[in-house]
Amino acid sequence: MIEVRVEVPLGAADLRVEAGLPPAVTAVMGPSGAGKTSLLQAIAGLRRARGRITCGDAVFLDTERGVDVAPEQRRVGYVPQDAGLFPHLTALGNVRFGARGDQAQVETAIDTLDLRPLLDRRPATLSGGEKQRVALARALATSPRILLLDEPLAALDVELKERVLPYLMRIRDELRVPMLYVTHNVGEALALAGHVLLLRERRVEAQGRPLDLLSSPGLSVEAAAGIENLLPGRVVAHDAIGGVSRVELKGGIPLSVPLAAARPVGAPVMVAIRAEDVLVSSGPVKGLSARNVYEARVEALERTGADVTLRCALPAAPAPWLARVTPAAVEALALKAGQPVWLAVKSHSIRLL
Amino acid sequence: MLSRDEVEVVLFTLGVAALSTILIFPLGLGAALALSRYRGPGKGLIETLLSLPLILPPTAVGLLLLEAFSLRSPLGSWLAARGIEIVFTWKAVVLATGVMSFPLLVRSARTAFEEVDPQLVGLARTLGCGPAAAFFRVTLPLAGRGVLAGTVLAFARALGEFGATVMVAGNIPGRTRTLALAIFHDNQVGRDDRAAVLAGVTAALAFVALWTTEALTRRLRRRAEA
Repeated sequence: MIEVRVEVPLGAADLRVEAGLPPAVTAVMGPSGAGKTSLLQAIAGLRRARGRITCGDAVFLDTERGVDVAPEQRRVGYVPQDAGLFPHLTALGNVRFGARGDQAQVETAIDTLDLRPLLDRRPATLSGGEKQRVALARALATSPRILLLDEPLAALDVELKERVLPYLMRIRDELRVPMLYVTHNVGEALALAGHVLLLRERRVEAQGRPLDLLSSPGLSVEAAAGIENLLPGRVVAHDAIGGVSRVELKGGIPLSVPLAAARPVGAPVMVAIRAEDVLVSSGPVKGLSARNVYEARVEALERTGADVTLRCALPAAPAPWLARVTPAAVEALALKAGQPVWLAVKSHSIRLL
Repeated sequence: MLSRDEVEVVLFTLGVAALSTILIFPLGLGAALALSRYRGPGKGLIETLLSLPLILPPTAVGLLLLEAFSLRSPLGSWLAARGIEIVFTWKAVVLATGVMSFPLLVRSARTAFEEVDPQLVGLARTLGCGPAAAFFRVTLPLAGRGVLAGTVLAFARALGEFGATVMVAGNIPGRTRTLALAIFHDNQVGRDDRAAVLAGVTAALAFVALWTTEALTRRLRRRAEA
């Protein structure tokens, strides 16, 4: 358990955070200037704060008792957005920097992030994704109590993101290091985090399980707009000639997605489909180019702005799919609750997170 | 080519310049680091005061030092009571050259320290370095070129220092006479040929110092970019 109850002096208004975070991955979200980075810095001991911060058994800060542990004794792994590698050291020199001669830990970190081919290179010659992997290894090699990741993927393009994300999942699943993960990207948060801490204007606006939080009404997660269907699954196969990868969603639902060869077979993925990209048909679909067609049943219709959102139950799916149609379509198809429908999704409107 | 006395002057000058550079090195780095981190009031004033020896006539600085360390002054008499005499000894030469070259070291080093990304220093802390270890493992290596350049500039300045030295140490043959003083003296007594030789020696020494730095700097840069 990571307990944070702090006030961080920060320009005009103090950052005030009270949160109990599970010892797993917590996504820290919120608009720019909300105080996300300052929170990480306070936990790392790089920014002055008042209050109490504990991480498992370790007390980092307890102002009432006069405890303020120096950053070098907190054992936190901090990875900033730009990786922050030491330019005068090789990749290996960077990874070893904080390991205090613990060779086994260095080797584990190098293997976890597949750094063997990069060890002699200088940071200036590494790509953005490679830099992030070296920075993650450097943090891991210190056997940190917690990883503090400040938008580690934000500077990467989509393709590089997809290459680094599996490493983060590996750290989460194999090494089981708790993480605080700052991101603007809802997809990353959902793919990695079991808990979300939402900051706004230097206060905690909400916290909880990601899906609950993101689907709760009135919650202003700008980035959440447009990704209504977030479906956990697993990569099953790659078909390079066909240009598709096959994913199996929870409940055994097969799905064809654009070729994502960077994701190893068996890797867990989060599939994102916008509600407006789900086509709805009142009868069985034949001769359509869309690769993914599913039989479903309309559970509910809901007016959302100018459109209508259909909540559709797939027999095997654990949660309903959302499809957005115009009121005209509702009328033309005579859509109503309880009615059987067929849902179709083009491979290319599917994104893997 | 050089007489025995002249060789002694060259060695004395090199020794004094080296010693004053070694003595001001830790002080200068400390001052540069403090200035690069300090954000409080009076920053501009402190920086100006530290740079003052650069623009004051060296003789004025020498006069101040003479007043401060002479036997009539509290500091001078306090030191004398402990058997330490400064003015008109080789120690005064070291003092004068050190004071005159100090701002050059501080200015270069401060700029170099300011260019080190503070985030990297913070990261070094999270990776287990105390403040001192973070300085030696991150700040100093990254500021290495600027620090090196400042050190060599300070050394070269010390080699050629004249005005402050002559005020506080005099021009005593075999005791406080450096190359710069010897050149002046030779010219005054009409030995322009010897003055010219010594001037050539001074130029050669300064050239070697600067050229070595350039070479080292190029190697550091290549290493950083490799």
